[in-house]
Amino acid sequence: MLCETCKKRTATVFYNENINGKTRSYSLCGECAAKLREKGELQDITSMIGSFADPFSTLQDDLFGGFFGIPTSLHLSSQKKCPSCSCTYDQISKEGKVGCPQCYTTFRDELSRLIASVHGTTSHVGSVPARHRAKRERDLRLQELTAQLQNAIQAEQYEQAATLRDEIRKLKEQAQKEVE
Amino acid sequence: MAWYNTAGKHADTVISTRVRLARNLNGYPFASKLDAAGANEIIEKVSAPLESAGFRKIHFSDLSPVMATSYVERHYVSPEFATKESPHALLLQEPLGIAVMVCEEDHLRIQSILPGLALEEAYKNAQQTEKRLDEDFDFAYSEELGYLTHCPTNLGTGMRASVMMFLPALTRGGYMDSLAAQLSKIGLAVRGLFGEGSGAAGCMYQISNQITLGITEEDTLKKLKEAVKQITEKEHYARKSIQGEARDRLTDRILRSEGLLKHAFLMSSSEFIKLYADVRFGIALGIVQDVSYEQLGSLLVETMPATLTLSSESTPKTETARDKLRAQRIKLALNHTGTPE
Repeated sequence: MLCETCKKRTATVFYNENINGKTRSYSLCGECAAKLREKGELQDITSMIGSFADPFSTLQDDLFGGFFGIPTSLHLSSQKKCPSCSCTYDQISKEGKVGCPQCYTTFRDELSRLIASVHGTTSHVGSVPARHRAKRERDLRLQELTAQLQNAIQAEQYEQAATLRDEIRKLKEQAQKEVE
Repeated sequence: MAWYNTAGKHADTVISTRVRLARNLNGYPFASKLDAAGANEIIEKVSAPLESAGFRKIHFSDLSPVMATSYVERHYVSPEFATKESPHALLLQEPLGIAVMVCEEDHLRIQSILPGLALEEAYKNAQQTEKRLDEDFDFAYSEELGYLTHCPTNLGTGMRASVMMFLPALTRGGYMDSLAAQLSKIGLAVRGLFGEGSGAAGCMYQISNQITLGITEEDTLKKLKEAVKQITEKEHYARKSIQGEARDRLTDRILRSEGLLKHAFLMSSSEFIKLYADVRFGIALGIVQDVSYEQLGSLLVETMPATLTLSSESTPKTETARDKLRAQRIKLALNHTGTPE
């Protein structure tokens, strides 16, 4: 998620301000937050972190209570229930935690903003469980073969293109079988 | 030997390193929706391969509160885990510092805790245990979000790496607030060892990664290691800058603290933490020469209320009795020839 002020750097400071019952949420990068703090337009939250409160709990409260406390967001999802654990988005935003792995699919749209706010992205790049590794490797191989096939066709190397096409077909069949 | 009985690398600024991986099993709801039958099923399932790999299973529901708290004091379980009511268990391989909390916030919290700065080793330990389970179980995972966890703040790698640092010069110099603010900008968090507001007393802080999605395990460890390196440099610089009369006053304070630790008749745990920090600082500066990091390190756990109570043949019934027992233990550890009164 980008900083709402400079719209360039990733937002790392999330802050809710409540003045006379009106809540305003900020998503800022460190530099813009510091500038606002200097101007006195933003409460100095570094003193809060400095007092060794758990930054995670503060962050969660801010995000769930702030961003997702917005009535429109709640209205859209309040009727929806996770088919696996019957959790509603209201419950998720109240507890700050989802009910089961399926919730991430059920409430994908609602959660994606929160996830991006916390992590700055919604794409995993770390390690992969054994059961998914073969699929991931196959997907990468398929991408590679498809590119090679395009090149072979452009270079009019039709014999090689036919071999590549067969290999792609075989991998796709294998993937299809696993889905079934 | 348990992690707290030995010193490890960079003992002058680093006390211990911990890496934990959060994993959940497909087919079960997360902790808040999991019933007792489901929790017991998970405990049984994951115990089998770990027990055959040499882990000891401890059913927390069967433990007395004092015994459960002693595991918190040894940093093997979280305070929330120790007091949980639904079924939960710990699988522990103490010599390697590997502890698997089953049915904590996530179904599995695989942790490795080692003395000193040892990020790669701690990750390797946790990863090896995780791999053993990965062969047998279907972990909740999505290609987009990585390992799926109860709380969205742990999505992705599910890894939290933390280094427990000892920063007396930066604490005394009043630099910790600005350091915490700087670290938060690069996605790292700072917490006091004994919970909220406790950092200053023992000058001990956990530095850990906040972000788990969109960054690999290796890059997270690299980033944390680099931050620890830079904090260590700042701490060393701050230590060197204590000169002249300030140094004399510090030396006096440290030696008085050493005297109190070695000779006091009653010692509360809050007083101990303050004196501990002084003497540890004294060892780092070469002011205290007849006490080692190992002697001090083990006291950090052994003088905690539950561990202290369990180590005594007769349970101390009053606070004074506990403070007396604590003072005796400290004396025994610091004066090799000393005898408890």
